[in-house]
Amino acid sequence: MSALEFVRKTLAYAFLLLVTFLMCFPLIWALSTSLKPARDVMATPPRLIPSEVTFANYRNLILGKEQYFRADQTYVPTTAAPQHFTTWFANSVIVSAGSTLISIVISTLAAYSITRFRYWGRRIIPYFSLLGYMIPSIILVFPMFMVMSGLALTNSLWSLTFGYVSITLPFCMWLLWAFFRGIPIELEEAALMDGASRLRVFVDIVLPSALPGIIAAAIFSLIVSWNDFLFARVFINSIENLPLTVGVMHFFEGVHVDWGLMMASAVLMTLPMAVLFMLMQRHLVAGFGAGAVKG
Amino acid sequence: MSAESSPADWKKADTRIGILFVIPFAIAALLFMVYPVIEAVRLSFYEHNPLRPEASEFIGLENFRTIFEDALFWKSFQQAAVWTFCSIVLQTLIGVSLALLLHLPLRGISIFRGLLLFPYIVPTVVIALIMQWMLNAEIGVVNWSLKSAGLIDENIYWLATPSMAMLSTIFLNVWKYTPFVTICVLARLQTIPLELYDAAKVDGAGGFRRFLDVTLPQLAEVLTVVVIFRTIWTFNKFEEIYLLTKGGPGTSTFNLAIYSFEQSVANLRMGVGAAVGVVMMFLLFAGSLIYMRVFRFDEDDTA
Amino acid sequence: MDDKIKRNAQPFTRRKFISDMAVLGAGATALPAWAQKPSAKTGTVRVWGEPGPYGGVAVDAMNEWAKKFAPGLTFKLETLAWDGVYIKLMTDLAAKNPAHCISVESPIAFQLMADLMLEPLDDVVQKVGRNRLVDGVKWEYWGAWKGKQYVLPAHHQATQMVVRTDIVKELGLGDPDKWSWDDMRNAARTISEKKKDVAGISLALGRNLCTDYHFAALLHSAGGRMFDPANKFEVVFDSPETVEALDYVKSLQPYMPKGAVSYSFLEVVDSIVTGRAAISFYWGRPYGRAAEENKPVFDALQSYNHPRHPKTGRRSNWNDFQGWCIPKSNNQYVDEVKAALVYYQTSPEWLVRYCHSLMPNVSPVYKDVLNNPKLMTHPFFQTKKDTIMNYYVNSLPHSSSTGNEMLKGINPLAGIVHGRSILAQTVQKVVVDNWKSADAAKWGAKEMEGVRKANLRLLGGVG
Repeated sequence: MSALEFVRKTLAYAFLLLVTFLMCFPLIWALSTSLKPARDVMATPPRLIPSEVTFANYRNLILGKEQYFRADQTYVPTTAAPQHFTTWFANSVIVSAGSTLISIVISTLAAYSITRFRYWGRRIIPYFSLLGYMIPSIILVFPMFMVMSGLALTNSLWSLTFGYVSITLPFCMWLLWAFFRGIPIELEEAALMDGASRLRVFVDIVLPSALPGIIAAAIFSLIVSWNDFLFARVFINSIENLPLTVGVMHFFEGVHVDWGLMMASAVLMTLPMAVLFMLMQRHLVAGFGAGAVKG
Repeated sequence: MSAESSPADWKKADTRIGILFVIPFAIAALLFMVYPVIEAVRLSFYEHNPLRPEASEFIGLENFRTIFEDALFWKSFQQAAVWTFCSIVLQTLIGVSLALLLHLPLRGISIFRGLLLFPYIVPTVVIALIMQWMLNAEIGVVNWSLKSAGLIDENIYWLATPSMAMLSTIFLNVWKYTPFVTICVLARLQTIPLELYDAAKVDGAGGFRRFLDVTLPQLAEVLTVVVIFRTIWTFNKFEEIYLLTKGGPGTSTFNLAIYSFEQSVANLRMGVGAAVGVVMMFLLFAGSLIYMRVFRFDEDDTA
Repeated sequence: MDDKIKRNAQPFTRRKFISDMAVLGAGATALPAWAQKPSAKTGTVRVWGEPGPYGGVAVDAMNEWAKKFAPGLTFKLETLAWDGVYIKLMTDLAAKNPAHCISVESPIAFQLMADLMLEPLDDVVQKVGRNRLVDGVKWEYWGAWKGKQYVLPAHHQATQMVVRTDIVKELGLGDPDKWSWDDMRNAARTISEKKKDVAGISLALGRNLCTDYHFAALLHSAGGRMFDPANKFEVVFDSPETVEALDYVKSLQPYMPKGAVSYSFLEVVDSIVTGRAAISFYWGRPYGRAAEENKPVFDALQSYNHPRHPKTGRRSNWNDFQGWCIPKSNNQYVDEVKAALVYYQTSPEWLVRYCHSLMPNVSPVYKDVLNNPKLMTHPFFQTKKDTIMNYYVNSLPHSSSTGNEMLKGINPLAGIVHGRSILAQTVQKVVVDNWKSADAAKWGAKEMEGVRKANLRLLGGVG
């Protein structure tokens, strides 16, 4: 390695480290706050590395905090607070997984259908999905709320699951359509000529080759439904049916915010998607290359 | 190599299976995509108070007249334009730079890739909460850092002064969605044939020259797409603003989505809110048309 | 019981508490037979309450009733964030799924009441006792419409002027109880100038309910109002009094924290408790937090009636006469909720407990509770007695709210005005957008006229 190249590489690394630190700083700060004991959270000067690491905030979130006490030690039942966190977490998992499953199954079947069969109207589906992909949730949320209200589904996890389908289905369709178009058809044709049934071909040949696209679409779908706030805010009324994004807003208790608790919940809310992202990063980029962006 | 170019008999025979496969999509799309949109359009012609659904009344274009005569609608529109423009310019510049950086053949680059793309998957609620915490004028870490670095003397009221609040929402948006640009550009960068660079090298082009002559033209297409997509999405964003500033202070960070939400929920005028939605849809259809025009993608269905 | 709590350094567990309460409940005042009628119904009774511990106490009381007389029922509290009331109301009602029992701010209760969405509660009032109210209040303050009572009192909570007496004394700013508007502004200015890092005054100026309330108190002090119930609820907001109140807010702004333009409830309390502001208008909540988080501030805080308007002499506060109401649509638990309400409202122990849960924010509404020796056992009575009595009693002659402006008549439109943040937006036009006060008042009046026109049905027969 020449000296010049060494300098360039060092510079590149230094720059990368700096950029990465800045980009990740909000999350690092959240993590740091969440690990501080209550008295240090508001301390000035603020410290990045907690003087003492405590998991109290996480423990309160996961195990529930039955009550807290005022100075006068009278009993104060907490109303909204942390004891619901695990429920909200579970709700988030259920609705994200549910809507993703529905969207993926439906759009995989449809993408296969429109790229392999000829019938009237099939060409319109990608356009249509693209438009659907563009429509912001704010337009859909109230009409969808009325649909759910008509089906007597409001305030249930079903309403959210279906609600998220309306956001995730179009882009799963769009992405998978692009992906399926790129899968060479020869293998399927050969198998069909050999007398394999359509279903066999679909399961044995098409699905395996479409898997990267399906995974990418599923990840996007999970992210979108996990992160949604608006639909959940409007659709769900009882505290135990909320997903995380809206639930944690209850930590703003009117006149008191426990930032340590808040940041701990922010960390826990990010964690599942982070893990997923780490595991599937390769597929994500592939997905973008194939579908989310043409070309 | 598409469906129609293959001359096999078995195809027609099982078109029925194909239709069967598309039926779930058709049903779901009708129920969860088409119907809500139709309902939104219908609502925009009605006076509808959600507390009194039975008193819903057809009022023609009255809701549109209401919004077009409302100074706040136009203010929201204008602010949305500013917000979108600044966000897109910054996202594109930073996004492309990051992509180039992450495209470097360095050991361990994939770790950086992961970390730098990470913001994209962070829930908006999370980043909005963190920013509220960090940007707190009195006890936030940002003001403290700037102060101790000697950059400012007085606390900056990030979320309480109109221009700073706008800046903060733009920052949130740029932070969260730059990775989208980066991912797209990076994916494209990885497909540029190395021979192109080799040829340029032979011609004696320097690094920057190579970027202008080789890389940029190759990126043109993906950048156009990304910019169109992101413009449409950014213009209509709701949560990024609502969760950080609720449109305030005053109405200085209102955009059309916030305006629509306020009309529907705070004012209980669902019809007016829906009319704003219809305007937003018109805008995004226009954007989508540009996209389809640019890429003429009805013709390359058979690609 | 309270002595025991005070002495006991060990944290109480919920179970322990409930068992204690059960013992107490058994010894409570004889319960009307009506509230002892057993019910075989099952399910969950949904109760809406605002954030704060007192709603939890009331619901615990109701559950105690359920345990005895309706073992199949569970009362469950759903907290509504102050700024989230409307979205919840809208979505729940639109989904035909309202709560079975609601405790909300009076303006919203009045709106529901006039919209005939509530169950009349005269029978409950009869059982609870018509003669129990403290002096200076009337049943209608909580919500009566066309001769029927729709809301049962939960508490009253007035704002008072919260003052850091140490700073006032140090700078020789006089007796806050005697302050006029000008005196308060002068004090705020002096504090801002002399004390580093302390704002003279902290009011909410954001687009939120807290701003609505802070401004309404000033508006009423100046003698201005939004609507005139005596004259078909005509809008009277575009008035010199409104302009004066807006000008006054604008003149205070330089002595407020810079962030005040986005302040809501939380930030105002934060600024008091952390010692970043010396004067504010607030309900009793800062005391609990200050006692926990900042003892020196707690020691120095006192509350007084709001400053006197120089001409009208009024010291109007914002008093939220908050009560319980029962939505009537799709409500299969009307009788049970009524019985449970009677049960808890006839139990002095529960009512004392309710007041103790957030001292001195929720003031007793019944004489027997106010004079109950147990109420005085709270430790705050030893150090903050004057402040507590100001919140509990002395606030009443100056009480006001937008739903019952200067106690001159119930107005069911106020809830909608708050839902649309019209007052806060009017204020923001002046403090953020630098409009002239007169123009902002005109804008606000126009919005209110829109509200009135669109909701004439609420006024039907009266207007």
